[in-house]
Amino acid sequence: MEILSVQGLCKRYPGFALDHVSFTLEKGRIMGLIGRNGAGKTTVLRSIQNLVHPDAGEIRYFSLPFSRHELEIRQRIGFAAGGVDFYSKKKLKTITAVTRKFYPGWDENRYQDLLRRFALDEKKTPDQLSAGMRVKYALALALSHRAELLILDEPTSGLDPVSRDELLTLLMELAREGVSILFSTHIISDLEKCADDITYIQTGKIFCSQPLSAFAGNYLLVEGDDAVPLSPEFSEKLLGKKIAKAGFTALLEKEYAPLCPLPCRPASLEEIMIHLEKEREEA
Amino acid sequence: MKYLLCKEFRLVMHPVLPFFLLLSAMLLIPSYPFYVVFFYTLLGIFFSCLGGRENHDIDFTLSLPIRKRSAVSARFLFAVIVEMAQLLLAIVFMLLRNALKIGPNLAGMDANIAFLGLSLMLLGIFNASFFRRYYAAPDKVGKAFVFSSIIGFLAILLLEIGAHALPFMRNTLDTPDPQFLPEKILILLLGIFCYASLTFLSWRRSIKTFEQLDL
Repeated sequence: MEILSVQGLCKRYPGFALDHVSFTLEKGRIMGLIGRNGAGKTTVLRSIQNLVHPDAGEIRYFSLPFSRHELEIRQRIGFAAGGVDFYSKKKLKTITAVTRKFYPGWDENRYQDLLRRFALDEKKTPDQLSAGMRVKYALALALSHRAELLILDEPTSGLDPVSRDELLTLLMELAREGVSILFSTHIISDLEKCADDITYIQTGKIFCSQPLSAFAGNYLLVEGDDAVPLSPEFSEKLLGKKIAKAGFTALLEKEYAPLCPLPCRPASLEEIMIHLEKEREEA
Repeated sequence: MKYLLCKEFRLVMHPVLPFFLLLSAMLLIPSYPFYVVFFYTLLGIFFSCLGGRENHDIDFTLSLPIRKRSAVSARFLFAVIVEMAQLLLAIVFMLLRNALKIGPNLAGMDANIAFLGLSLMLLGIFNASFFRRYYAAPDKVGKAFVFSSIIGFLAILLLEIGAHALPFMRNTLDTPDPQFLPEKILILLLGIFCYASLTFLSWRRSIKTFEQLDL
């Protein structure tokens, strides 16, 4: 079932443009939105929340056009940007008391369960919480109104490895319960642990939007020594060749693996992104 | 709307604002430029908007299942309630001043019915000048306040000079109640009209501006 569909999203700013961004998120799947700083991730996330007005394109949630069903759709989705950074001096209890009124479907039992599970103390204020706890509070708010889709902007930034792992585990549990999750991150290794799909943006354009396994499986990492001569034909196939500690590394599309005279191995998502960005810069 | 209004009072209202409302008691000072009382009202509204910016109020509000225009309406309603509370308290202290027979205000306009009307005009001018700029660029709330303060101070200056220099204001409006009651009531009605129309127009314009704004 299609939970979020973005088709042909365009937004032009002086010096930057989102250019026909399209992707689809299915029920119960986790999609990672990746790209360099300034690639357009935040503009996409803000556009699909109607905070930025697109010049063109269509956004549909649950097969309903957002423009005509905004209030109904907002009841079914939850947004969080790197945890709660609003009303830092107000008690969580107060923030929750205000928030819950907006959601007729608010599930107080679930909220209390989540507070216990996340060890959140409602008497505290957001600025008394760690970054990880703030993210958990944001999730508790979103999940207590039974959000079917979570849109998270950099939810793991600023978290220590253990907290990140806890959060990713939680996201995977939610996905198994049928919640769909779209999140942007710079910590690419997080996506390898939990994402089902990847949407990769380069300078406002979608480079790819597909299952993570298909995307990552398409590339190998070549680790070579400059002393080994390479044929010009093979060198042309190498993507984003860059200096490494011993020699160089480059990406190679899997179909060219039989031609490779050098050792190669499956590339991590981070390695793929780094080399593809280098390739793009050089192009 | 009532939930958004509840959010305004519980999460956005600056803690000093209720104290500012009590400054209506300044009307008991024997001689003082009483329009300053309403400057504190505006300061309280500005502090709340400033606090809203620091606390990412707009991001929070727009993540809720509401329309963008409702966020503007709730803020206007909040401001109107605060302004009316200040005005009501001013009436209470004005009556008390009269009961205590404190006497005429030598530093400016007397606290009388015409003063209420002129104060309403000032509040309307603030709502018109502040909110339109604020909703065009909520991150630059300081600029909006400086702009509206300059206009407000100029208006106060003109009103106070008028109370000394213009015969109608000096001899008719700046007199103890109930002297010249019909003229003063007329000014009060004019003040109510100005306040309502300026606030209404500013609200409509602010909605339009904010709807078009990319956040």
